[in-house]
Amino acid sequence: MAIAWWQILLLTALAFWMIIDQITVGILCNYPLLIGLVAGIIMGDMSKGLVVGATLQLMVLGVGTYGGSSMPDFMTGAIVGTAYAVITGKGTNFAIGLAVPVGLLMVQLDVLARFINTYFLHRVDKYIEADDVPKVARNVVYGVFPWGLSRAIPVFIMLIVGNQFVQKIVEVMPQWLSNGLSTAGGILPVVGIAILLRFLPTKRFIAYLIIGFLAATYLKVPMLGVALMGLAMAIIFYHQSGNSSHNQGNNQENKPKETENELGEYEN
Amino acid sequence: MNSANTKTKQITKKDLFRANWRWLWSSQICWNYERMMSTGYLYTMLPTITKLYPKKDDQVEMMKVHNQFFNTNAYVGGFIVGMDMAIEEKEGIKAKDTVAGLKAGLMGPLAGIGDTIVGVILPTIFGSIGAYMGLKGNPIGAFLWLAVNFIILFLRFSLLPMGYTQGEKLVYATGDKLNRITDAAVLLGVTVVGALIPTVISVKVPFVFKLGKVSLKAQSILDQFMPSLVPVALVAICYWLLGKEKMNSTRLIVLVLIAGIVLGGLGILSK
Repeated sequence: MAIAWWQILLLTALAFWMIIDQITVGILCNYPLLIGLVAGIIMGDMSKGLVVGATLQLMVLGVGTYGGSSMPDFMTGAIVGTAYAVITGKGTNFAIGLAVPVGLLMVQLDVLARFINTYFLHRVDKYIEADDVPKVARNVVYGVFPWGLSRAIPVFIMLIVGNQFVQKIVEVMPQWLSNGLSTAGGILPVVGIAILLRFLPTKRFIAYLIIGFLAATYLKVPMLGVALMGLAMAIIFYHQSGNSSHNQGNNQENKPKETENELGEYEN
Repeated sequence: MNSANTKTKQITKKDLFRANWRWLWSSQICWNYERMMSTGYLYTMLPTITKLYPKKDDQVEMMKVHNQFFNTNAYVGGFIVGMDMAIEEKEGIKAKDTVAGLKAGLMGPLAGIGDTIVGVILPTIFGSIGAYMGLKGNPIGAFLWLAVNFIILFLRFSLLPMGYTQGEKLVYATGDKLNRITDAAVLLGVTVVGALIPTVISVKVPFVFKLGKVSLKAQSILDQFMPSLVPVALVAICYWLLGKEKMNSTRLIVLVLIAGIVLGGLGILSK
């Protein structure tokens, strides 16, 4: 299926709004799942968008933008991936195989946007000296454009070019590579889970990790049920720790301290 | 000597709402590497500054103060703005150093709480549920998360007025309670992750051993040992790799992508 021009425009607008949403209200676009859902609705195939978004979601579970670090932009990946999944009809795992490199490359543009905003900062400095309050305010708001365009322009280009280009790739792709991409799509959530476990004080709460695992595998409790079970245990924990709060100090030492890496993808 | 000032320049509920609204939209809108959220903080304080300081020199001075380096979690940062507004309303320009110190002192601890609860635990719980359902094409989990985001947005709005009325008192009084809430939330998150491992990682070993007439499926042997053994092993390997000095999340993603393509291409693993 070919992509219609209005779909390209809507997805480009979604890409612009997505990053603004992330840094302001945080309703729709903090994470790939909801973006995938919206992109799926725009492309006329909600469940494909959901599956692409959900897989990418699991990859970024433990990855956050703390202290201004950039993270792989799998929200943009979800938009492009969903569009490609519907265009090619090749299944979602193929699309995820494409969305991952897109997300990784987009980090560079995130850095660029944050860098360009420094220019507006210096203009703000200048207008403070002149006590020109309206111009100070205006220059802060201009920051919208580096942010929004850093997502919208690449998405627009990838959709325009991708329309024919991706179809060609699909035609010449060997079977083993499609199998490989499909397997990669299946195991990529491992990364998000591992990062998350590194971020959380897992060693201290390892018993609960095992309980969650047992409930899902042996007892076949659905996810919402496990979450409720976790909630019950959390309430018990909260009340009990209130009685012995003087012991809490010792436990804090178990928290991992080495959560920052040299590229600063995630830090505590 | 301030009594005259406070009467004429009082911060009203409307001012608080305005600051709240501005903080929501602007806190990170001009985020930059040099001073991070400084511009957002300044933008939020602009109406307060023009209201409290009629003199041009004072205005310039305070605009400079608020355009200094600032970085916290945007969800909870409104609390600091609220405290700042209360102090400046009472003390005026004299409080310049106080508010600068307050901002620097509170941005770290509040970022810690906000990043853990809003940045990690909520996405873990609702992202897990949503992704688990989403993988099956079911949007209910995603809508649930959407609803939670609206609730968070609503709660966020109460922080700035709370900072304004309660101020420092609250920070000290609830410090221990907040730690316990954070710990309990982490516990819940870890439990959900435990259930996530076997349910969302779809991988099998399609390999079949053939010994004469008997053929043994590798996957069923593994299943007898423990269900979801392969996903657990993969998570353990990635966890271990992340502890290595040169490993980071981006490299790990690339590594797993390549490993998946190779192992899948060779037919050792399959979805």
